[in-house]
Amino acid sequence: MNAHSFEHQLRQATAPAPDAEAQLRSRNAALAEFQRVHAAANQTISPKDTWLFRLRRLFPGTGRGRPSRNLWLGGLATACVVVVAVSTFFLVPPGQRQVAVRPSIDTATIPEVNNPTPPVIQESEPVAPTPAMPEEKTEAQQPKAVIPPEAVRGRPKALNPHRQRTGKPASSAEAITTPDPSVIAPVSPPEVDEVVVGHDKVYASAMTASTAVAAVQPSPGPGSDVGLGEISVTGTRATKSSWFNRMFSRKEPQSIQQSFRSIDEGRDQFEHFEINPVKQVSTEPVSTFSADVDTASYSFVRRELNQGRLPQVDSVRVEEMINYFDYAWPASESRDQPFEPTVTVSDSPWGEGKKLIHIGIKGYELPVRQQPDINLVLLLDVSGSMDEPDKLPLAQKSMALLLETLKPSDTVAIVVYAGAAGEVLPPTPIKQKETILQALYSLTPGGSTAGAEGIKLAYDLAERSFRKNGVNRILLATDGDFNVGITNRNELKGFVEREREKGVFLSFLGFGEGNYRDDMGQTLAQNGNGVAAYIDTLNEAKKVLVQESTASLFTIAKDVKFQVEFNPATVAEYRLVGYETRALNREDFNNDKVDAGDIGSGHAVTAIYEITPVGSKAKLIDESRYAEPARAAAQGKASEYGFLRIRYKLPNGFRSRLIEQPIRIDAGVPEALRDSVEFSTAVAGFGQLLRGGKYTGTLKFDDVIRQARGALGDDPYGYRAEFLTLVHKAKEAGGK
Amino acid sequence: MDDPTTGLIRRAQGGDVASFSELLDLHYAAIYRIAWKWCGHRTNAEDITQQSCIKLASSLAQYRFQAAFTSWLYQLVISCARDWQRTQQRHDHDALPADDPPGGGSERSEDYIYLVQLLDQLDDIGEGMKETALLVHAEGLSHAEAGQILGVSESTISWRIHAIRKHMNKAEALMGGGV
Repeated sequence: MNAHSFEHQLRQATAPAPDAEAQLRSRNAALAEFQRVHAAANQTISPKDTWLFRLRRLFPGTGRGRPSRNLWLGGLATACVVVVAVSTFFLVPPGQRQVAVRPSIDTATIPEVNNPTPPVIQESEPVAPTPAMPEEKTEAQQPKAVIPPEAVRGRPKALNPHRQRTGKPASSAEAITTPDPSVIAPVSPPEVDEVVVGHDKVYASAMTASTAVAAVQPSPGPGSDVGLGEISVTGTRATKSSWFNRMFSRKEPQSIQQSFRSIDEGRDQFEHFEINPVKQVSTEPVSTFSADVDTASYSFVRRELNQGRLPQVDSVRVEEMINYFDYAWPASESRDQPFEPTVTVSDSPWGEGKKLIHIGIKGYELPVRQQPDINLVLLLDVSGSMDEPDKLPLAQKSMALLLETLKPSDTVAIVVYAGAAGEVLPPTPIKQKETILQALYSLTPGGSTAGAEGIKLAYDLAERSFRKNGVNRILLATDGDFNVGITNRNELKGFVEREREKGVFLSFLGFGEGNYRDDMGQTLAQNGNGVAAYIDTLNEAKKVLVQESTASLFTIAKDVKFQVEFNPATVAEYRLVGYETRALNREDFNNDKVDAGDIGSGHAVTAIYEITPVGSKAKLIDESRYAEPARAAAQGKASEYGFLRIRYKLPNGFRSRLIEQPIRIDAGVPEALRDSVEFSTAVAGFGQLLRGGKYTGTLKFDDVIRQARGALGDDPYGYRAEFLTLVHKAKEAGGK
Repeated sequence: MDDPTTGLIRRAQGGDVASFSELLDLHYAAIYRIAWKWCGHRTNAEDITQQSCIKLASSLAQYRFQAAFTSWLYQLVISCARDWQRTQQRHDHDALPADDPPGGGSERSEDYIYLVQLLDQLDDIGEGMKETALLVHAEGLSHAEAGQILGVSESTISWRIHAIRKHMNKAEALMGGGV
């Protein structure tokens, strides 16, 4: 049976030899396309073109079905028609223009006009029975066999939805009859790095274009009054999309990056990761990871639980849940060494005989008078999908809250992005708060998301009002990804990274759900030396933007890395709880070029290791039969579980500094830290349960509740009490 | 990528028809092979292949020599295949003709039927699973290479491969352990 395993079957699957005739057909079609592309490229048209740029933005590449799309598409269809029609009209050399308006469209509408030798295909009379379609012409030029019957069958149906979306043909036709040359002048294929045009949108545009062409001159020919309803289209989609590309750009639309997303469960996207496994000290004694002060995961989990369902496994990052809460780790007194580690050792509730090592650091808290000037640029997503109470309105209120925490001399600028990116407010001092608030509340949602454009503009503004010794930061508020513009995550990442070098940092605030792109926010914030937070309620906004505003605005240490070397004489196995997405290679620790997490003023970072001491029965991995037993004990280190090293750079520093400290077996838990240790352990247990509880033994939600309830401590804002209710909700939702 | 192909691509990007044609001939079989493994169906594979060729013509200019050309080509074909499949699902849901088994021999055609079932099954597991399995098992690429082509991390590929096997084992167990 194993020989028939699916792997075997796949390996054995051998495609039959390609059919020579089919190959020839494909070859001809491709060569024709190739020549057309290059013919179109050689057309002399000025490169700068705002109209087409906008037009292209109207066709977002991802078929994500934002609720807003129908609204704006309907409204803007007319505009599209005008632009497409007009561009079609003027791309054609004057001599042949009259051909273009003939009811039965001839070759001239297609910009192969400059191509002296139409390739491969012979010119022939259009075979297709339907007139007025430029793409039909190209279709007709292809040998009939080019389109396999399967491909053709579905096509006319494919157009139906777009036909509705394209709006009223009659009014579009009216609009076109009076083309204004001043409007038309700039039409040309622009130079853009990335063109995002969905294939299905291309249909729509091809439709509008053809309608428009038909309508440009309502001559009495048989096809001149062909309405949208009567147009039937045959032909391969490749023909059409290439027709569109040829006219508007030489770049390929959509798909490649767009379709390679992380696995989509629901519409919210999270990067998948496996939880840290148990490691044997004798084989891998050193564990290295980067600090993480993000809390987005906790807020997202809370939101899901509040709606009565368990969160997606990949949305749960245990370290972000732990770090959501404030712990009583002693803070450093000096700005020069911005934190000192606190290490405690306690019994593990997840397995008998195991121990937990807590490593906590709390960043130095900047006194208010020392706080540097702030140059803040708010970059707000105002796309149609933000039109929900928990999105743009919440973002506006959150930003207003943030203004309260700033000094009068700090400046704020506002940039929005949707269909187009725009500067709403130039850098304005907080003194003029009314102006800022007015600008902020004047924003209304509408359009698709051209995030990358907005980011560039925001960085421009931030650089314009750059404060050399101050904080220069962009605060990006969005509900989703950037589906127009730079959609390539790596490209965006590189951009943010380069700007970071210039001293402009970026933080990410996520709103709403439905198409929340957690992975995108994480990427941007991590590369922009910023924080990624998820805002689901005004309370959360208060926590992130007001109570922790100094933390999210003032970095006190950057590239903070942790490394723990375990003592093989005392520790058999260890496991780092969480931080999966922050793992570093051992050699990265001393490499100052390797980026790591940043810590803001007053930020606390907590990491928990679960260890199995030597001699405990809880061991999961058997000893190697041949390895030599550890000798460290002989050197007098038997009183240590391991050795902690922390590397960090000061905010303006380029060389890292090192903090070292042994982890003593008898460290215990000081009474003042008992609540912190207990509560963080409860949160860690909860997070692991939500991720499936692979290593938590018999732990149940009830145990988490019991442990957390005993460690509520002061809890001035009620965050810990809220945690308790969440665990209850998880228990109901999951039935565990 | 070896130099002759690089030169060929550069010339083709510059608009040289002969170079493009040569490039196409060089890779046609590979494109067809991937397309066929995607759908296990000859005419459908030809359809995908043709669209891939056309797309190659229109988007070759974007190839920037950052990844191996073959990797880039994989991306292109997979994206065409996905587009193709989307239209199929939308319009021909009921009528996917199980056409000509290749080869002819009965054992051969049994294999072929199994492959088509397998592909359907992979489709059902989740997005990205089929292409992952094809690249890794059928094309013999490493997890890292497959990750690069599919735009996900190597560990995601490893995880998917693991998930597929788990799923398949379960499915097999449900069917009484036999195929």
